[in-house]
Amino acid sequence: MTDPLALDPVLPPGERSRLPFNEDHRSHDERYELFETHVTSGGKVEATDWMPDEYRTAVLRFVEMHANSELMGVLPEREWIMRAPTLRRKLALTAKVQDEVGHAQLLYRVAEDLGKPRAAMIEDLLDGKTKFHNVFHYPTRTWADVGIIAWLVDAAAIVAQQALRNSSYAPYARTMRKICWEESVHIMHGRDVVVTMVTGTAEQRAMIQEALDRWWGPLMQMHGPRSPREKDRDLHWRIKAKTSEELRQEFLGIYVPRIWELGLTLPDPELGLDPVTGDWRYAEPDWNELRTVVTNNGPMSQSRLAFRRENWNATAWVRDTILAAAPAVAA
Amino acid sequence: MTTSSPDLLPATRNAVSLLLLAMADDEFVIGFSDSEWTGIAPMLEEDVAMSSLAQDELGHAQALYRLLAEVVDDGRDADAIAYDRPPEGYYHARLLDHPRGDWADAIARRFLYDTADSVRLEALAESSFVPLRELVAKLRREERYHVMHVSLWFERLASTHGEPRRRLIEALERLGPDAATVLAPLPNELAMVMAGIVSVASPELEARWRAEIEPAFDRLDLPMPPAVAEPDSARTAHSEAFRRLWGEFTSVRRAEPGATW
Amino acid sequence: MTAPALEPWEVFRQEKDGDPMRHGGSVMAPDAELAVHYARELFGRRQESIRLWVVRRADIHDLADPDLLQPPLDRSFKKPGGYVMREKLAAAREQSGQEKPQAKSR
Repeated sequence: MTDPLALDPVLPPGERSRLPFNEDHRSHDERYELFETHVTSGGKVEATDWMPDEYRTAVLRFVEMHANSELMGVLPEREWIMRAPTLRRKLALTAKVQDEVGHAQLLYRVAEDLGKPRAAMIEDLLDGKTKFHNVFHYPTRTWADVGIIAWLVDAAAIVAQQALRNSSYAPYARTMRKICWEESVHIMHGRDVVVTMVTGTAEQRAMIQEALDRWWGPLMQMHGPRSPREKDRDLHWRIKAKTSEELRQEFLGIYVPRIWELGLTLPDPELGLDPVTGDWRYAEPDWNELRTVVTNNGPMSQSRLAFRRENWNATAWVRDTILAAAPAVAA
Repeated sequence: MTTSSPDLLPATRNAVSLLLLAMADDEFVIGFSDSEWTGIAPMLEEDVAMSSLAQDELGHAQALYRLLAEVVDDGRDADAIAYDRPPEGYYHARLLDHPRGDWADAIARRFLYDTADSVRLEALAESSFVPLRELVAKLRREERYHVMHVSLWFERLASTHGEPRRRLIEALERLGPDAATVLAPLPNELAMVMAGIVSVASPELEARWRAEIEPAFDRLDLPMPPAVAEPDSARTAHSEAFRRLWGEFTSVRRAEPGATW
Repeated sequence: MTAPALEPWEVFRQEKDGDPMRHGGSVMAPDAELAVHYARELFGRRQESIRLWVVRRADIHDLADPDLLQPPLDRSFKKPGGYVMREKLAAAREQSGQEKPQAKSR
């Protein structure tokens, strides 16, 4: 069967495998059902397994957006490496940004093994054909932003990533475990920057509050709009395990008390824990803003993509000669 | 632990301060320059590698500034020394004062710097100034990887005909004349040689460095770096680009002087 | 001159003394030398490994054939769980009038 989105597996499947849906003699529909049963009852999938196109495409899209986000997430922070006000902060921020690049590597590797070459993914990102998370489309204005991003943006990301550690797609699940372990340091660095400034001069404290006021909107939008569990195909295939709302609630539950304990305020008068339901109530995030931003119309979307494009082109001569991509592998 | 008083004679303390400042500023400037490649290197894996090298240099700078703070003992800590000087107060080698350039510039600069630094560190390995000897032992172990990694790239660029080799040669043309500034003579260095703080004087170090790199340059058919023009300003004439960078890297600190970050 | 092709290299790591080598992930590299450096970066830059093995993915032989690894006939005689003696021991103790012993040593 041919599907324009179907991708050739990078590795040839073994002759015989432990899983019945890998058996070539079975019909496509039979394999699909066996695969679906396997995955929905908690079974894991490896890069060499047969997958329905729907699953392969869904995992690839999910992982690719995640990889793109790590790569683009480098840009808001890297400009502050130069401006870091102490040697230790400079080291910590360089290490953090390095980790984001490392995470991009890990995630693009997972996606490459699903059949899409890395260069194609980066070209698609630069051409605006694929997306990256909303928070990386906004400017950073002060050193306080560095603290807020490292603490709260990474915290929101880690809440999502922890829920992916048991993804049905095993290479992604394993990568998530490694990433979660590495991200925990970033959050500590971020929180340390914030707490240091909050207990510093009045000006430093004001910088933090101002940054928090600016970032709260994008943070609330980050996990995405509420959608019903039954309609979510990524949940069905167990690519992810929690809904947007579950992730947002988890984030609010851990981090709002930690923000308030520093004496900081949040720009949402409706924000609070409902004593009856146990859920956090909040003003409806601006979903129009989210839609606008992730379609590359955010304040920094185009300039950051252009910056990436410029550097990608400037280093092409290295990739074309010394770090050449492998020729495409035939199915 | 006070290290300066019992170990250093007043005559040599000033010379050692300048040596430490030179080394620390070299590591600091190449560290933050190379950290600029983070996120935009030719390939993701290489991006992580270059970032590690940059972090190592920043870590070395930090250790050297700390030792310097103990030696000068004037109340400043490592951060104050690193950040709170005007641009003309920086003492890094002119080799490191060029614009970032392309990947060939990055590799050429690193190769020239790391090989020179390696010779400098070797001459300090038996230093009579114990804290420096101990620090240098650690730095040399870390710098081994730098030389390995950057040599690998230097070879590949030089041996890949076409654009890589052409760009490397152009980078060497730009940077070559300033390469030996890393090993330019320091004020009162003979006092340090006599006190056993460094084993030989700078001219001998430069000769050793040239002897080290010549076989590779010969084999790869590359022009050796010429002698330094204007050796007296090897560490004191700084570019407009550095002044702008100074403006950037001190901007947050200058916004709230004395604050804790 | 044709450029060497990038290919995946699998990285195995040892976390502490005496541990087995465990698979960590993979890096893209054109040859072994760069693969080793990249393995160090992605799986060792935090001092989290004391040893790394780097292998071309193409050199790894994969076996997942269930006939070889999960053959159908009973092999319980090869596992501890294949020896259930609870009832027989209970019968022997009843016969000898002995209690279930506690381990004794000095």
